[in-house]
Amino acid sequence: MSEPTESPPAGRSGQPDRPMIALEGVSKTYPKQQRPAVATLDLEVPEGAIVMLIGPSGCGKTTTLKMMNRLIEPTTGRIVLDGEDVTAVNADQLRRRIGYVIQQVGLFPHLNVADNVAVVPKMLGWDRNRITARVEELLYLVGLEPKDFRDRYPRQLSGGQQQRVGVARGLAADPPVMLMDEPFGAIDPITRDRLQDEFLVLQQQIAKTICFVTHDLDEAVKLGDRIAVFGPGGQLRQYDTPDEVLTNPADDYVAEFVGSGAAVRRLSLLELSRLELDQVAVAGGGPGPANGHPVLVVDDSGRPTAWQHLPGLAEPPPLVTVPLSGTVYDAVDVMLDGRTPVVAVVDDDRQPRGLLRWDALVGDLRTKGRRTR
Amino acid sequence: MQSLLEFLSNNWSEVQFAAQAHFLLVLYSVGIASVISIAAAMLLHTSQLTPRSWSRAVRANSRETLLLMSSAALTIPSLALFGLLQPLLGLGVVTSIVGLTIYGIYPVLRNTVAGLSAVEPAVLEAARGMGMGPLRRMVRVQFPLAWPVILSGVRVAVLIMISIAVVAAIVDGPGFGQFLLDGLVRLGGAGSLEQVLTGTFGCLVVAAAYEVIFVLVRRVTTPRGIRV
Repeated sequence: MSEPTESPPAGRSGQPDRPMIALEGVSKTYPKQQRPAVATLDLEVPEGAIVMLIGPSGCGKTTTLKMMNRLIEPTTGRIVLDGEDVTAVNADQLRRRIGYVIQQVGLFPHLNVADNVAVVPKMLGWDRNRITARVEELLYLVGLEPKDFRDRYPRQLSGGQQQRVGVARGLAADPPVMLMDEPFGAIDPITRDRLQDEFLVLQQQIAKTICFVTHDLDEAVKLGDRIAVFGPGGQLRQYDTPDEVLTNPADDYVAEFVGSGAAVRRLSLLELSRLELDQVAVAGGGPGPANGHPVLVVDDSGRPTAWQHLPGLAEPPPLVTVPLSGTVYDAVDVMLDGRTPVVAVVDDDRQPRGLLRWDALVGDLRTKGRRTR
Repeated sequence: MQSLLEFLSNNWSEVQFAAQAHFLLVLYSVGIASVISIAAAMLLHTSQLTPRSWSRAVRANSRETLLLMSSAALTIPSLALFGLLQPLLGLGVVTSIVGLTIYGIYPVLRNTVAGLSAVEPAVLEAARGMGMGPLRRMVRVQFPLAWPVILSGVRVAVLIMISIAVVAAIVDGPGFGQFLLDGLVRLGGAGSLEQVLTGTFGCLVVAAAYEVIFVLVRRVTTPRGIRV
């Protein structure tokens, strides 16, 4: 996918509190059933945010998602889209204003890629030129070269490519809201990982309000601005940032759900740029072993090549580096990989910016200011 | 062999006429049967086209009932059916077409129902999620995807009708049935074997013509994405 634009997505800076979708007292009880599939629920999805609905099978997360575009009609409550009560408007009209992407993709096999993407714009009566231009734009956006893919049929695409088309189709009429039901669930782990990364880059450009059903906690933590954890009986147990859900689970159920891996998962939420890193000096940059700071040997362009001196270690370990844009999780990864207790943090130009010690991980990580993610 | 060729050249205009009549008789009956069955199957698959009170279960049951009735109709011996229709409708073309239409419904209905049901649920869910109403889903998605299956049902109907059309001769129906009936009634008489052979081969020629037509129609009407 292409480069992100400069403007930050609205949900992360602009007006984070304006709800794009609000479920007010919504519940769903299926006919002839005693217990509700979704218990009375209030949920606000802020504009421009990615909200992950997560929980075990049968917890009502998909039902909740489908009530947002009224594929399932709620038994009680109100659905408010962008300030407008849509509980009783024409459901087909409503769905054309909301992007919808599902796990099995569901591309129309008898239509080529361009026609698949064009389905909603055609229903909305766009003129031909506008549709053609939009299809090109979207295919490019999801990383499919239009001239190679436009005329292909779904069966000629891999699973990953099909889901890219699925996402493009969901975005076709530029809806402010996207509902995604485990879109990457049926894709192999490597491709899934790449699609997730691309999805985040894409979201930086398009800044949609996204509701995303998943049963994969790693996916929820990686993609979500907020996570809604559902429990049995269709009850919303906690609705908060990934950091909060992992650090302060609301109850025993959530604690058990986020499980023993929570501490490790949290590492991937912590960006190195937010840490107070230990200072490093550069060999030849000042007098002697710079006030007890570690010293790096650098090449002509200032890039570190080895440790010259590390206080507390007689024999300096081999140098490993991690980019400043990475997370603590990445830093741990390279330390384990390089079998070294210390890692140098470098910026985009590979200039040294500090270092992180293994000891600091199990001790207190000092962060500066609020989380900016 | 010599005598068959002689018979053909002596009766060429009758043979030609019978071939055309046989072809058209099958065309009309299968055409009517297809319109009835495809329309019925589509109606019963589309929620907005049936009365509001008809739930999904009611529609599914009506489909099954129709299938059962039409398959029962197919088991009626053709001689008996035409015999029963004759007092009601008299002799001739109309009776033949009505009889054949009754036989033609089952294969087309069966395949239409199967084809419409075989469309992947994910495809229909995506269609619904994008805001396609029931009618649009049927016309733009379900029907085109079911078309190859429907078409093969029509083809089976045509093949069955070509042979049953022969029996229509007992109610004075048009086509090669006349040749066969005449020949069989006076078998052993002069030229009777030739008559029977002409009737038999005639049916084969009509069937071959239809096969060619089906190959072409299939090519032209199947969307490229689902051609096999």
